[in-house]
Amino acid sequence: MKALLKQKEISILAIILLIGAVLSFVSPVFLTIGNFLDIIEGNVVIGILAIGMTLIIITSDIDVSVAALTTAVAVSIGYLFTFLPDSWISVLLLFLIAPVIGLVMGLINGLLVSIIEIPAIVVTLGTLNIIAGLVLYITNGNYVNSTNFPQSFMAFANYELLGLPILIYLLAVVAIGTWFILKHTLIGRSVLAIGGNTQSSVRVGIDYKKVKLFVFAYMGFLAGIAAIAQTAYTKAVDPNGMLGLELTVIAAVVLGGANIHGGRGSIHGTLLGVLLLAIMQNGMILARIDTYWQNVVTGAIIVIAVSYDHLSYKRSQDKLAKIEVEA
Amino acid sequence: MKKLTMILFAALLLVGILAGCVAENSGSSDSGGDAEAGGESEGESVQAGGEDGLDIAVVPKLVGIPYFNASESGAIEAGEDLEVNVNYTGPTQADASAQVKVIEDLISKNVDVIAVAPNDPASVEPVLKKAKEQGIHVMDWDTPADKELVDLSVKQVDDEEFGRHMAKKLVEAMGTEEGEIAILTGGLSAANLNLWIEAAQKEFDENYPGIEIVSEKIPTEEKQQVAYQKTLDLLKSYPDLKGVLAVSTPAPLGAAQAVQEEGLQDEVSVVGSALPTDSAPFLEDGSLDTAVLWDPGKLGYLTVALGKMLAEGEMPEDGQEIEGVGEITVKEDGKTVIMGPPADFTKENAADFDF
Amino acid sequence: MKLSKESVLGLIALATFLLLAVIAPGFLSSNNINSMMFQLPEFGLIALAMMVVIVTGGIDLSITYIAALSGVGAALMLTNGYGILPAIIVAILFALACGAFNGFVVSKIGVSPILVTLGTMVLFEGIILAITKGSSISGFSEGYSLIGNGYYLGLVPLSIVIFAVFAIITAILLSKTSWGRSVYMYGSNETATLFSGVKNSRVLMKVYLYASLLAAISAIIMTSRYNSVKVDLGSSYLLQSVAAAVLGGTNIHGGYGKVIGTVYAVMIFQFIRNGLNLLGFHSSLVDVVIGAILILVLAMNFFSDKFKKIAETKNAGKAA
Repeated sequence: MKALLKQKEISILAIILLIGAVLSFVSPVFLTIGNFLDIIEGNVVIGILAIGMTLIIITSDIDVSVAALTTAVAVSIGYLFTFLPDSWISVLLLFLIAPVIGLVMGLINGLLVSIIEIPAIVVTLGTLNIIAGLVLYITNGNYVNSTNFPQSFMAFANYELLGLPILIYLLAVVAIGTWFILKHTLIGRSVLAIGGNTQSSVRVGIDYKKVKLFVFAYMGFLAGIAAIAQTAYTKAVDPNGMLGLELTVIAAVVLGGANIHGGRGSIHGTLLGVLLLAIMQNGMILARIDTYWQNVVTGAIIVIAVSYDHLSYKRSQDKLAKIEVEA
Repeated sequence: MKKLTMILFAALLLVGILAGCVAENSGSSDSGGDAEAGGESEGESVQAGGEDGLDIAVVPKLVGIPYFNASESGAIEAGEDLEVNVNYTGPTQADASAQVKVIEDLISKNVDVIAVAPNDPASVEPVLKKAKEQGIHVMDWDTPADKELVDLSVKQVDDEEFGRHMAKKLVEAMGTEEGEIAILTGGLSAANLNLWIEAAQKEFDENYPGIEIVSEKIPTEEKQQVAYQKTLDLLKSYPDLKGVLAVSTPAPLGAAQAVQEEGLQDEVSVVGSALPTDSAPFLEDGSLDTAVLWDPGKLGYLTVALGKMLAEGEMPEDGQEIEGVGEITVKEDGKTVIMGPPADFTKENAADFDF
Repeated sequence: MKLSKESVLGLIALATFLLLAVIAPGFLSSNNINSMMFQLPEFGLIALAMMVVIVTGGIDLSITYIAALSGVGAALMLTNGYGILPAIIVAILFALACGAFNGFVVSKIGVSPILVTLGTMVLFEGIILAITKGSSISGFSEGYSLIGNGYYLGLVPLSIVIFAVFAIITAILLSKTSWGRSVYMYGSNETATLFSGVKNSRVLMKVYLYASLLAAISAIIMTSRYNSVKVDLGSSYLLQSVAAAVLGGTNIHGGYGKVIGTVYAVMIFQFIRNGLNLLGFHSSLVDVVIGAILILVLAMNFFSDKFKKIAETKNAGKAA
C-alpha cells in the first residue's frame, strides 16, 4: 500500500478525484455511466496517440508530427474506402493497411532521428510541415463523409460489446499490449533503460539506434490505429480535424507523470493524464462555466497540477535522500 | 570566420537597404501618378498588356476548407468565362497576419484587382491602403473590410437577414415557440459568425420571448468532432434542450451527429450553416433539420465578375442581371452588392447541389 | 577554409536570395524587397525570443500568446485615449508579467519549461478571451501606425531597424555579459553551473523576462502594422519560431545558439515564403518546402560533421 502511495501517479489521481468530486457536486449528470462512456470514447484517439508518445518521451525525445501522421492515414483510409468491397474483410484489411501506412511514416521519423542523428523535435517539426502540407494540397481540405463509407465499416464503428463501444476495447488492447511490451520484452526494457541513463545503457550493450527506431516506428503504427479510431468516431474524414492535437497529446503524457527529460513514465499514468484533460473538457459545459473563462480555468488547472505534482515529487526525493544519509 | 559572417550579413543588409531606397522613390512617384488614374490606365499597364487580360486576385480567409474550395472553383470558372487571369490564394490558417503577407505578395505581383475576405477587417486596412496607392482596385467579399477603403463590397447575404432567417428556421423546426436552445459557433473571434448570432439573438428576443438560450455561445474550433462532443455534453447538461443553432460550416454536422447517435431526432432540432453535400447524411434522417447557406461557388463567380467590371471602370447597378449568378441587389451606398437571399437545404433538395 | 555552421547558413540564405531573384518574377522589385523588410521583424523578434529560451534547454510555447496579450495591453491603452508611450510601456509590462510568471514556475518551483508554458499558453489565451470576448480591438492613432508602417530617415522600414537593434542587443547580452555566459553554461550543464556559484534561478528568470520583452516588441510592431489585435495575433509563428531557431543552429537540448544563425534562418524562411508566393505555389506547398529545408540543412550538418571527423582522424593518422 505504501509503495502504491509513493507512486507519482497518485498525485494526478488525487487531482482527478478532486475535480470529479467538485463536478459531481455541481452537475448530477457527471457521475453517470453514460457520461463516462462518452468521455472515454471521445478520447480514445488521444489515448492511443498518448500511449505511443509515452514511449518516445521515456527515451527523452518528442514527436510533434503525430496529429499530421494520423490525419495522413485517415485521409488514405478515406481514399481506400472507394476501392474496398462492402464486407467484413474490408474492415480486417483496414486493420492491416492503416497501421502499415503509419508504420512507414513513423520509420522515416525514426531513421532520421537514429541514423542521421537530427534532434527529434526538428525531424518531427519538419515532417509535420511536409505531411500536413501535402495532405492539404492533395485533399484541398475536402471532407469525406459517411455516405462514401462501406456499410461494414459503419457497422464496426457502431458495434457495442457488453454495452461498451468497440473503440473502448481498441484503446484497452493498445494499452495492455504496450504495457506488456514495456514490461516483458527486451526492446521494452531497453526503452526504459535508455530513458533512465543513456550512457550506461549503451555500455551494457543496448543498441541505442535500434531503440530509437523502434519507438518512432511504434508511434507511427499506433497513429495508424488511431486513424481508424478517429474515422470510426467522427464517421467522416476531415483533413483539418486534428490540427493542433499534438500539443494535447503531449500535455496528457506529461500530466500523467512522464518526465520530458526521459526515464520516467507509465502507461497508466498517461491514461490518467488523458482522463484529467478529458474531464476538464467535459466539465466545462456540465459545470456551466462561462465560455470566455473556460481557457483560463483549463490553463490554471494545468499549471497548478504540474506545479503540485513537481513539488510532491521533490519532497519525496528529499525524503529519500535523507533516509539514505541516516542509513 | 567571424569576418565572413559579418561580410555576408552586411551584404544582405546592403541589398535590402539599396532596394528600400529605390522603393521609396518609385513609391512616391507611383502614388502621384495613380491617385487620379481610372480603370483604363490599368489595362495599359505593362504586365496586363503582356499577358493580355486582367489579373484578378481573390484572397479567402484560408485555403483548404470545403467552403473556400467551393468558392475557388466558382472564381476559376468565372476567370475562364470572362477571360481574365484569376489568382486564388490565401493563408493555410485563418490568421490575420499571414493573410496580410499574402496580400503584400500580391501587390508585389502587380495584379489589377485584389478581392479579400478579411480574417480581421481592421488588420487588412493598412495593406489595402498600400494596394490602393499602387493603383490596384480593392474590394472585399464574403466578409466586409473597411467600407471607406474598398471600391466594392460583395456580400452573399445580408448579415442581419441571415441571422434572423436561421433563428426563424430553428423555431419552425422545433414546432414550438417555447423551450431551451443552445448556440454553437466556429470560434469566439470570428466577426461574421458573431454578427449572425447577434441577429439571431435579436430575433429570438423580439419575436419569440418563450425561447431561452441556455448558455453563452459555445466555441467549437471549426471542427466537427469538437462540435459533436460539446453537443453531447449539452444534451446531458440540459435534458430539456429543444434546439441547437450551429453557426460555421463544420458545427451543424457535429451537432447533428450527436443528435443522430443519441436518437433524439424528434426531440432536438438542429439548424445551422452548412454545405448541402456535407450535411446530406444528417438531413436524411432528420438529425439536421435545415442547413442554411448560399452557393459559395456563385459567390466566387460574382466576385470575379464584379472585379472585372471594376477594373474596366464600371459599377454594378441595383437589380442588374449578372450572367451565371442572377439578379443582384446594390445597397444605397452604391458599392455594397448583395448576391441574394439565403438558400435553405433540406432533405428534399440537398441532392440537387454539387457543393 | 573551414566554415562555421552560421556562415554556411548565411551562404544558403544568399543562395536562396539569388536563386529566387532569378526565377521568381518581381522578387527583386523594390516594392517586394520593401514588403519583405516589413514582414520580417515581427517574426524575427519572436524567433530570437524562442532562441534565447532554447539555449537554456527549455522552450516557450506561450510566447505567441504573451505577444498577443501584450498587444491587447497596448490596444486597451490606445483605444482609451492614452498616448503612444504609455501604451508601449503597458504592452511591455503585460509581457513582463507573463514572463515573470513563467520564470517563477520554471526557476523557483522547478517544473520543466515545456509543461509550464503548455499550461500558460492556454491560460494566457484564456485571459485574452476573457478580456476581449474574442473580438478584435482596433483603430489606433496615425502616429502609432508609423512604428510598423513608417520609414526610418525615409529610407529603411522603421521596424527592421528596431529588429536590427534588438538582434545586436541580444547578441551582445549573450556573448559579452556574465548573464549571457551563465545562460550558455546553464544550457550545457545545469548542475555544474550551480556548483560553480551561479544563481541558476536568477539566470533563468531573466531569460524568461527577456524573451517576453522581445515578444512585447514584436507585439507592438504587429499591432501597429495591422492596426488591430485579436486573440490569435501571430499564433502561426509558434512552431515556425522553434523551426527558425533550430535551423539557425541552436541546439535544442541547450548550450549552443547564435543570434546571427537565427537571423539567417528567419531570412531564409522569409525569402522562401515570399518567393514561392510570387511563383504562385499553393500555400500548403510552401510548408512542405520549409519542412524539407529544415530536415535537409540539419542532415547536411550531420554529414559535414562526419566528414570533418573522418578527415581529422586521417590527418591525425598521417601526423603519427
